[in-house]
Amino acid sequence: MTDEEQSYSVFNSQALIDTVGDSASAGLEASRIKKFISVLGGRFFNWGQRKSLFPLHLGIKCCALEMAAAGGSRFDAERFGVFFRSSPRQCDVLIVNGPISKKFADPIVRLWEQMPEPKWCIAMGECAISGGPYYQSYNILEGVDTIIPVDVYIPGCPPRPEALIDGFQHLRKKIMRIGTTPSTTRDDDAPIIVGDQ
Amino acid sequence: MKIKAEYAEESAQQVVDAAETRWSGTSLHAEVRHHKSGMKRPYVFINCPKNHWRSVAKWLRFEMSVDHCSMITGTHWPEGPDEKKWEIVAHLMRMNVINPPERGGWTEQVIRDPAILQNDDVPMEFEISISIPDTRRPSVPSVQEVWMGADWNEKETWDLVGIEFDGHEGMRRVLLPHDTPVGYHPLQREHKIRYHDAEIMYDDMQGFGRKPADDGKVK
Amino acid sequence: MGPQHPMTHGLWTLKVKVDGETVVDTIPDLGYIHRGVEKICESRDFTKITTYCDRLCYASANTWAHSYIYSAEDLLEVEVPARAEHIRVIAVELQRIASHLMWLGAFCPDIGNLTAFVWCLREREMMMDLLQELGGSRLHYNFPRIGGVKRDLPIGFAMRARAKLNLFLNRVQETEQMLDESTVFLVRTQGVGYAKPEEMVNHGVTGPNVRAGGVNYDVRWAHPYSVYDELDWEVSVERPSIKGADSYDRYRVRVDEMRQSARMCLDALDKMPGGAETHYTEGDPMILTKARERAEEGKTGFHHFEDSRGESMFYLAGGGDQRGKHPYRISIRSPMFLTIPYAAKCMIGHKVADIPAIMGSFDPCIGETDR
Repeated sequence: MTDEEQSYSVFNSQALIDTVGDSASAGLEASRIKKFISVLGGRFFNWGQRKSLFPLHLGIKCCALEMAAAGGSRFDAERFGVFFRSSPRQCDVLIVNGPISKKFADPIVRLWEQMPEPKWCIAMGECAISGGPYYQSYNILEGVDTIIPVDVYIPGCPPRPEALIDGFQHLRKKIMRIGTTPSTTRDDDAPIIVGDQ
Repeated sequence: MKIKAEYAEESAQQVVDAAETRWSGTSLHAEVRHHKSGMKRPYVFINCPKNHWRSVAKWLRFEMSVDHCSMITGTHWPEGPDEKKWEIVAHLMRMNVINPPERGGWTEQVIRDPAILQNDDVPMEFEISISIPDTRRPSVPSVQEVWMGADWNEKETWDLVGIEFDGHEGMRRVLLPHDTPVGYHPLQREHKIRYHDAEIMYDDMQGFGRKPADDGKVK
Repeated sequence: MGPQHPMTHGLWTLKVKVDGETVVDTIPDLGYIHRGVEKICESRDFTKITTYCDRLCYASANTWAHSYIYSAEDLLEVEVPARAEHIRVIAVELQRIASHLMWLGAFCPDIGNLTAFVWCLREREMMMDLLQELGGSRLHYNFPRIGGVKRDLPIGFAMRARAKLNLFLNRVQETEQMLDESTVFLVRTQGVGYAKPEEMVNHGVTGPNVRAGGVNYDVRWAHPYSVYDELDWEVSVERPSIKGADSYDRYRVRVDEMRQSARMCLDALDKMPGGAETHYTEGDPMILTKARERAEEGKTGFHHFEDSRGESMFYLAGGGDQRGKHPYRISIRSPMFLTIPYAAKCMIGHKVADIPAIMGSFDPCIGETDR
């Protein structure tokens, strides 16, 4: 705020906001309520994130049919809060369910970057984990983790819809553990492989 | 409900005779072949020289009413005989059930009883093999204007195998990425798959013969 | 309409040129899951290629596995016993019903009818349970073998199959009734996507798409294989208007085909020949060891097969002594590879909102297109 624009009203908005904010922050810190609120708020947001994971409507290959069956009425995934969205801007989870060819490597990285933080990636099926039966192909990348950081691996060809729902459960435990670290700085020393535990 | 076997045999023989008489001086060779298992009806096999391919295609389409181009594919035979270094195999079919046959003065719009189909109305498979002796730039005349189905088939064959089609408009990569280097056609013999020299651990079907390096390992 | 789009049912791009809301030109762009299966299978044994063929078109895996096995039997000159042929027919027709249900379950949400998605997936689960009893897995069964099938029918399978198929025949009437009485479905599918039968045949389109145009062509009667000529069934053909077949005709053909497939399964169960251990040829247990002499250089085998989407064909060229158990060249003819450019042409002149209705009604499956 420059001196020329200084008006003498008490209700000057920017100064008012600064004053109230600083004093409230100082007061909360003094009484240690701020820490209390941030812990409580963090846990609340964490609960919200992991209980309503929105995957992207991306069906690459066969595992997409099992993903669709998981959304059907027999293995209902919606009762777990999992609701498929079509636009990457509205999603948390990217389920990669097929082999990534060289032509699709660029679009999938763009989809990943379009998703806002916090975001997680599930590699479903053998083709996404390591290239699958096409590991010798001239056109398929050996696993999606060569281009995208993966959090949960679900093996199977294709994994049953129950395995996918179990994979979501493991992802929820992981979210509870790591909170909301951005995907670029997450350690990948503990990518979860469903079926190991 | 099925096509009568005798009618199918007759019809195939008619096509073969017509082909042989029409191109009797050239090296075109036609015969009736039977599948070894599975299909119970004969098919017509034509071994066509490269320069006659377009006229054979037009004759098949307009006079033998072969109206369906099923697949055009190519193979690379680097160790083959000299006149067959590359090969194009075209599979065509005569569906021919649009023009309804007449029976007793009354046309059947939709064929309900295929046993009445005879001669040119019988659906028939064709396999046409064209041997190409070139090794540098194998090419074959394109039949894009004869059958529309040949269009994308030829694009795919060029994309994967590398055989050029003279006269084909709009040739482009359809399956490989658009920025693949020019001249890279993966199905040629000199390109190998990744890890092509990895030893397969158990070559026998039941796994009984273990290799000495696997002593002490659990299967 | 890029690779990730809920309408495309697979990974391909459709570049659309519009003038206002009307489509002027379309270019399809395929190849996003091109896996090079033809090249990989050149270094696999004949018996191991079946697992790849299952995964070519994942919505109807059994039909593609059988298509390959018939071609391999043509190349290797193997006889198949009658009981195995009947079991194969049952597996293929159950898979055809499951594939059409998946199509209907994916097509209706594009039109706006979300109930059909859940209903069709529920019926599909019934069929997949039956196929799981036969093959062992939910989606990729690796069921046929060169010379027969993997294993015989489980005990009680005929009873369960009859019960489920009869229940299915009742339920498909419910679904059909719901869709036929829904004005939205009728308005969105009738009158869009006209496809003339002569053009379709010239283009190489086959299967239910061309039967919706009035062309009564089905590989199962035109070039009969297996035991289709002994079973009691009818071809489902629609008589379209003079302008061609629209999306509604294609929908009706597939629903009728589901009924005919159920009828074929029940008939095959009735006509199944008895006999233990006849689900595999007795004379050819070790076919791989004989592959060297049977498939010598220059020998080829091919087989047209009626897949749920059209006519699929495998062309195998044997390699003889130097290649042994691997085929020299395996070439796969996918019906959707020629149908998708044709369907892209059908859209010209319609509005952008009709694109899902037209594209979905042709039943694209990108797994087989981009092999």
